[in-house]
Amino acid sequence: MTFQVFDKPMCCSTGVCGTQVDQTLVRFAADLDWLRRNGVQVERYSLSQQPSEFAQKADVRTALQTKGTNALPIIRVDGKIVCQGMYPSRNLLASWGHVALQDEAPASTV
Amino acid sequence: MEVLKNPTRNLFFTGKGGVGKTSLACAVAISLADSGKRVLLVSTDPASNLDEVLGVQLNQKPTEIPSVPRLLAMNIDPEAAARDYREKMVGPYRGILPDAALQSMEEQLSGSCTVEIAAFDEFAKLLGDRQATAEFDHVIFDTAPTGHTLRLLTLPSAWSGFLADNTTGTSCLGPLAGLHAQQQLYQQTVRSLSNPALTTLVLVARADIAAFAEAARTSGELSALGVNNQHLIINGVFRAADLHDPVAQSMQRRADQALAKFPASLASLPRTTVPLAPFGLLGADALRAIAAGRMEESAWSENSVHAADELHLGTLPVLIEELASAGRGVVMTMGKGGVGKTTVAAAVAVALADRGFPVHLSTTDPAAHLAAAVHGTLANLQVSKIDPRAEIAAYSAEVMATAGGNLDEHGRALLAEDLRSPCTEEIAVFRAFAAAVDRGRDGFVVLDTAPTGHTILLLDAALAYHREISRQASQLPTSVQELLPRLRDPNYTRVLIVTLPEATPVHEAAQLQRDLRRAGIEPFGWVINQSLSTLDVHDPVLVSRKQHEAIFLSEVTTLHASRVALIPWQVEPPVGIDALRRMGTLRAEELALQQ
Repeated sequence: MTFQVFDKPMCCSTGVCGTQVDQTLVRFAADLDWLRRNGVQVERYSLSQQPSEFAQKADVRTALQTKGTNALPIIRVDGKIVCQGMYPSRNLLASWGHVALQDEAPASTV
Repeated sequence: MEVLKNPTRNLFFTGKGGVGKTSLACAVAISLADSGKRVLLVSTDPASNLDEVLGVQLNQKPTEIPSVPRLLAMNIDPEAAARDYREKMVGPYRGILPDAALQSMEEQLSGSCTVEIAAFDEFAKLLGDRQATAEFDHVIFDTAPTGHTLRLLTLPSAWSGFLADNTTGTSCLGPLAGLHAQQQLYQQTVRSLSNPALTTLVLVARADIAAFAEAARTSGELSALGVNNQHLIINGVFRAADLHDPVAQSMQRRADQALAKFPASLASLPRTTVPLAPFGLLGADALRAIAAGRMEESAWSENSVHAADELHLGTLPVLIEELASAGRGVVMTMGKGGVGKTTVAAAVAVALADRGFPVHLSTTDPAAHLAAAVHGTLANLQVSKIDPRAEIAAYSAEVMATAGGNLDEHGRALLAEDLRSPCTEEIAVFRAFAAAVDRGRDGFVVLDTAPTGHTILLLDAALAYHREISRQASQLPTSVQELLPRLRDPNYTRVLIVTLPEATPVHEAAQLQRDLRRAGIEPFGWVINQSLSTLDVHDPVLVSRKQHEAIFLSEVTTLHASRVALIPWQVEPPVGIDALRRMGTLRAEELALQQ
């Protein structure tokens, strides 16, 4: 199983480089890290760093053409878009990835 | 010159701004070229004046210098390097990705990180890749003012460490795609820097306690990074020829006092001493004369003489009176390092505090010596320093406590890793700067800002942030949101451009003024520091320098500034509250003129 995240343009995964730290980005970076540790392959692309990944995928390109950068982030699971324009919760990521939520690492609610 | 005996392939010039790095780097480059070597001279200073010193328009490719066979020179302009890099990244996707996506890519690639990274990349290509400079016998780097130089030089090891530690693949260094591929080049750069057979670090200082302290600090920091092959040049050492000239005597005494307090850590370094030149150091002939130790009058041409008293030059006390009438606000002293920004800022702060205003005196310059300049306490006057390390620590702690509060151990580790990126410093210092400017609502804030290049980057960052803010304003501190409007408001912020009556400082100050105007900031006035023009000097070197400075006083008043304050060279060092107070107080004869 492969997750692909097509991010909004930003220079780091947690968004600490912005004028303010976006709690959602910090949480999402941690959730992706959690997915990886549970054996899910996660690829994360940024528009400013890997534009070719965006340009090569017809569905991503179409989403950008219709909604502009509001379409971002786009999440694809095994080549299919599952979510656009929002950072999904750990619960959603877990259900797409068929990963069991653990008691000791409670799911985020954002 | 001692430094010219058995020179290594790479020579790095570093030192506090205004000590003459560029002139000496050029003099050494010309001397080596004249001896038959092929030499490449490189400036990595965003505020470089290599063009002016050599009298040739330079760019990012090595350019031949017509008056010096075998010498080629180039300017690495970080902004231009970033623009090129941006176009290389965005260009291929025009017509493929929608315009909105391209615009947001460009926006993202306009940040200070990209500028820093692009500049460093250019620098590493020259130093890390022998192929790039194979046709030259020597590569000479006229590096930027100290703070920037240190950043540039310490980045290789910091980044090598950062890359080795970074396991998640995404990081703040992302704007340079394929950075991992560059790792080898950067490691080679670090090795070249610390190889004594290849590289010499030339520390340049004036015979001045602050410049020595700065050189000692740089020497220690670079030694710690493994750069141990160092050479010290003491530039502009003045010996009085006329024993009846009190200014000349005082000038020599001051140099002697500084030399007597020479830091022990520098004493073991090989050393070159260069006497104070009676002429301006522009053009190949003047630079050849310096390298050869020729100071006699035939080496330079006589300049036309303008009388300083024909120009309408104000004084510092008059300028302070105008500043005081506002009752509050921000006063910023800006200019090239070494022109006396700190002293002027401290004198203004002392004078305002003496008038009963609450005054906060602060700096964003990592190399500033505010506490040493004030050297004492005064009611109403608070002195502080925006220390990048402390600001980073505070900002990181804040982020970890807020954004990191709900994360598990792995999440916190990931966040901590992103916070170690070079951008964090920029943001932390920026927020502290905005907070200092905010205090101008309730009293006076006097800010002694960092050297020119850094200052421009800081303001540039302010603009970038402003764009960012208008897009997504939410939990930002009010001080940050209000920063740019405040810097542009002439009733809130008054910028004083500080310069010396010499070619390079005046032209750099004019460039700074253009940059400020582009950012919508109109300077309040210019301060010309350390002028001999109103002093009665007889020593031949000083008489020559006094004549020489009249050209630049005239240029400032006619071309650049509507409000000018001239500060005479101080016979007593302007250190401590009393000396600073004297600088800001009208003398009896000036009082008489006022009434």
